[in-house]
Amino acid sequence: MKKSKLAKVLTVSLAALMVFGLASCGGGSGKVSDKDITVISREEGSGTRDAFTELTGVLQDDVDKTVDTAEISNSTSVVTQSVAGNDAAIGYISLGSLDDTVKAVKVDGVEATVDNIKSGDYKIQRPFNIVTKGEVKELPADFIKFIMSKDGQKIIEDEGYISVNENAEAYKASGLKGSITLAGSTSVSPVMEVLADKYKELNSGVTIEIQQTGSGAGIQSTTEGVCDIGMASRELKDEETSQGLKSEEIALDGIAVIVNKDNGVEDLSMDQIMKIFTGEITNWADVK
Amino acid sequence: MRKYSENIMKIVFLTAACVSIIAVILICVFLFASGVPAIKEIGVSDFLLGDSWKPNQDLYGVFPMIIGSVYVTAGAILIGVPIGLLCAVFMARYCPKGLYKVLKPAVDLLAGIPSIVYGFFGLMVIVPLVQGSLGGSGKCLLTSSVLLGIMILPTIISVSESNIRAVPEYYYEGSLALGATRERSIFRAVLPAAKMGIMAGIILGIGRAIGETMAVVMVCGNQAIMPDGLTNGVRTLTANIVLEMGYASGLHREALISTAVVLFVFILIINLSFMALKRRADR
Repeated sequence: MKKSKLAKVLTVSLAALMVFGLASCGGGSGKVSDKDITVISREEGSGTRDAFTELTGVLQDDVDKTVDTAEISNSTSVVTQSVAGNDAAIGYISLGSLDDTVKAVKVDGVEATVDNIKSGDYKIQRPFNIVTKGEVKELPADFIKFIMSKDGQKIIEDEGYISVNENAEAYKASGLKGSITLAGSTSVSPVMEVLADKYKELNSGVTIEIQQTGSGAGIQSTTEGVCDIGMASRELKDEETSQGLKSEEIALDGIAVIVNKDNGVEDLSMDQIMKIFTGEITNWADVK
Repeated sequence: MRKYSENIMKIVFLTAACVSIIAVILICVFLFASGVPAIKEIGVSDFLLGDSWKPNQDLYGVFPMIIGSVYVTAGAILIGVPIGLLCAVFMARYCPKGLYKVLKPAVDLLAGIPSIVYGFFGLMVIVPLVQGSLGGSGKCLLTSSVLLGIMILPTIISVSESNIRAVPEYYYEGSLALGATRERSIFRAVLPAAKMGIMAGIILGIGRAIGETMAVVMVCGNQAIMPDGLTNGVRTLTANIVLEMGYASGLHREALISTAVVLFVFILIINLSFMALKRRADR
């Protein structure tokens, strides 16, 4: 008797839960075109955010004007997930990380593709740099030679980034031994890891350590001589070059502006993107 | 010979005990040594009461984050305590043996799930639910409160349950003998007797909620502004630290450590009140 009563209570509460769940799934499916925009940005100090705000003009007179109500995520995957799950959201991620759960919009009518970035037509792009100080030792220099070679640049393209060295020559294994330490940008690290694996395959006596510390910290470590090569997803600042640092572009990366797949918007102008991220445009109805 | 080995073991135990004390002291020293100078540089009132956090403009006000942490924790308590308490009553008094064998491990399992998994659960399940029913982006105060409410359940349930069980059986039987119903006996005789222990459980839950990081950062929206509604995004103290630590340098980095100091003081207050309560309960 007692048991059946309990079972009844359980069944009723389960049913109630399911009804609630269904009701909330069904509700609130208004049209995207008149919803308030959910702006999704990255955290302060992120290389992607620095590059994006500078290129789109959200950075005005050295002040980052990103709207206060913008949601902040600290990784590319959370930005993608948030945009995929919210039909009124807009965000930005590295082109190499773009997948088909979200939609990249055209910027000023130009699609975010490898060709358009190479030609310079797609404006929101940034360089991936490696940073060295003074005379580079033989082994790191050979690794850089590998990155800039035909084989290295092919890996960069395979990973979804854009190669910078068109007429590169093939790489010949040098047979050097030793270890290389790299530190810096979390955006550059994934492709650098693939490059390092391939290099270690070709030169079996080499170990490579990659530390993901962020562009600023990587440049700092290079200055101090803690690492052989720094990785930066931005250009060097004047005070950094004056300390004897040299940077070399190894690849280009586009930053894709992404919206939900159900969003009808296909094309945004640079000005509209700036106004959306600074909070001047707050509703999709105002984006025409 | 026996005395000799006993002494050795004594030293081993002492060292083991010292390790945890030294760890606490080191953390204290590190936090205050690197956090307090930054607070001084920013200015105590600008830091604690400033309402704008814009590191690239050298504005470091953590007040929105303090409010965010307090709101989210309060919400978690509002949601977690009634459910947890009633669940504990059920487990201690009503639950048939067969079901208990399932329920108890389930609650224990809830405590063992890593917080990042809770975070993903929140992002994939609670966020769309809130978004669908209340509009907005779904990453808000309400979502974080619901998620944290679930996360503190095991703490509240297990502490409350053991305290309800510790109440002498004659409280309950005496109440029944006076003609009270079962429910009345539990809520008017047993629960008041277990009050102190239950309060201790709630305080432990608050501690867990305010210190939670990875789950909250994924569902709270992380806007460093004052929330003025349940569907507004918030940023908690913990989220502030974990979001920006990777890239911060200079004063920005020190300001983040200062944020940790504020959090540490919160936790200290919570633990002290827990100990005070426990002492009163033991008496």
